[in-house]
Amino acid sequence: MKRALTRIAPPVVTFVVGVLLAEWLIRALDVSPLILPRPSAVWAAATGEAASLLPALGATAQAVLIGLALSSTLGVAAAVALAASPWIQRAFYPYAIFFQIVPIVAIAPLLVIWFGYGPRAVVAAALVVSIFPVIANTLAGLLSVDPALRDLFRLYGASGFATLWKLRLPWALPYLLTGLRIAAGLAVIGAIVGEFVGGGGLGVLVLGAMRQQRTDLVFAAVAYASLLGLALFAAVGLASRIALRHWHASETER
Amino acid sequence: MRTRGLALAGWLLVACAEDDSKLTLALNWKPEPEFGGIFEAERSGAFEKRGLALERTGGPGAPVVQMVTAGQVSFGIASADEVVLARDRGGDVVAVFATYQTSPQGLMTHAARGLASLEALLEAKGTLAVEPGLPYVKWLEKRYGFGALQVVPYTYSIAPFLNDPTLSQQVFVTAEPIAARRAGADPQVFLVADSGYDPYTAVVITRGETLRSRPAQVKALVEALREGWRGYLDDPAPANARMGPLNPEMDAEAFGLGAEAQERLIEVANGALGQMSEERWATLAQQLSELGLLAKPPQPAASYFVNP
Repeated sequence: MKRALTRIAPPVVTFVVGVLLAEWLIRALDVSPLILPRPSAVWAAATGEAASLLPALGATAQAVLIGLALSSTLGVAAAVALAASPWIQRAFYPYAIFFQIVPIVAIAPLLVIWFGYGPRAVVAAALVVSIFPVIANTLAGLLSVDPALRDLFRLYGASGFATLWKLRLPWALPYLLTGLRIAAGLAVIGAIVGEFVGGGGLGVLVLGAMRQQRTDLVFAAVAYASLLGLALFAAVGLASRIALRHWHASETER
Repeated sequence: MRTRGLALAGWLLVACAEDDSKLTLALNWKPEPEFGGIFEAERSGAFEKRGLALERTGGPGAPVVQMVTAGQVSFGIASADEVVLARDRGGDVVAVFATYQTSPQGLMTHAARGLASLEALLEAKGTLAVEPGLPYVKWLEKRYGFGALQVVPYTYSIAPFLNDPTLSQQVFVTAEPIAARRAGADPQVFLVADSGYDPYTAVVITRGETLRSRPAQVKALVEALREGWRGYLDDPAPANARMGPLNPEMDAEAFGLGAEAQERLIEVANGALGQMSEERWATLAQQLSELGLLAKPPQPAASYFVNP
């Protein structure tokens, strides 16, 4: 109980103080609500417009989850392939970096032309921005296997598959989970940018609110998106605890 | 076509900083025939001879209404419905000159579909690409219903239109239809104004405070704009030649065609260019209110505009 308190209290205090400070500053400086809405106005929009925000959040969350599922499967597969030989790595890794630097805003309209309007383009955008951290981290894990253990496997004549399944992948798991934490936030951004052009979800809601000068609703939608990101981050953290608590230093020594 | 974009964050914390001697005018798009009169007034010295030093700023994605509200720029280009919305949200913006007396907003579809009216277009099965949240789209939906239409975001490119024979999209009659025709399509355009929703468009806005503190300057600006637009309507070529290099996506022919297409939307039968009527503003505010876009009751029509 005390541990939970020491963990939860600091961010909650930061939040409350930050919100109160913003509310006071915006009132004191008499900033137009068109330019910067007060936190209380954002709260009113977040609750009052829940009927449109919640379905939009649902649509975005669905695209994010599918995108993340795809980027973790494809990302791990790509990392395994890249780890297979230094030659493959040299030949293809530079192109994997493409996914990290791709300006998603610029290629999003193309995703619509390739995948059509709707959720598929949105999932594709989430996938494109979130796959690189999975590839890069998993690859780093696969390549950093303890040489002594690798030798041990070789000594016992373990097959390539057995080495991969019983040694390299478990070894890479903590790395993969770190990659997923980064990917989770990115996937939310990717999905919303995808929705700007593909339609649906919080992305379209933000554009509409912006066009109708509902700055309060824009911020409310951003808050919903942040909550989605936080929830995903927490979910990955939980998965990480469950998967690693019995054997990995990152989760056992807390 | 005219997005406020994502640049909001950048403007958030900038305090009011207005210098009296220098005037700034924020455009909401690239130089196009839509702004012809402004460039003509610059070219002919209409601003200069009234002692106005006007600097153009803004562009695609500029949050013009917010910039004007914050006092970052003295004037900006917006549409009348944006003025009504901004005032409803507590922004003190006022219209002083209305370029388009008839809104140039329309929906473009392929002529081969043989659709006879806006209503037929909206009833037919197909895709409609429009910016999310546009008041006139809401108006059309309420007026005609969207039937089997799939509504998707417009991404400021006519490529999807060219590729999809069942796609319709929003346009400025001065721009996209001309580009589509020259790209080999056979577009058919219906003006939204014909459906009864007709906000003044490419309206010059300023802050109420500017209007009160510097009425002579505002009046001089409007007179200069009027002179510029008169000149542009008589001969758009010189101003087009100035805008051309600033917007390489449009060539001289496209500028000429755009200027020709907009003439009847700007010209007035009697009275002065750019003047606005209380009745039109009242109708617009009432329409926006009925669409549920206003949080408060409409303001008196006279609070939205002045004819300096």
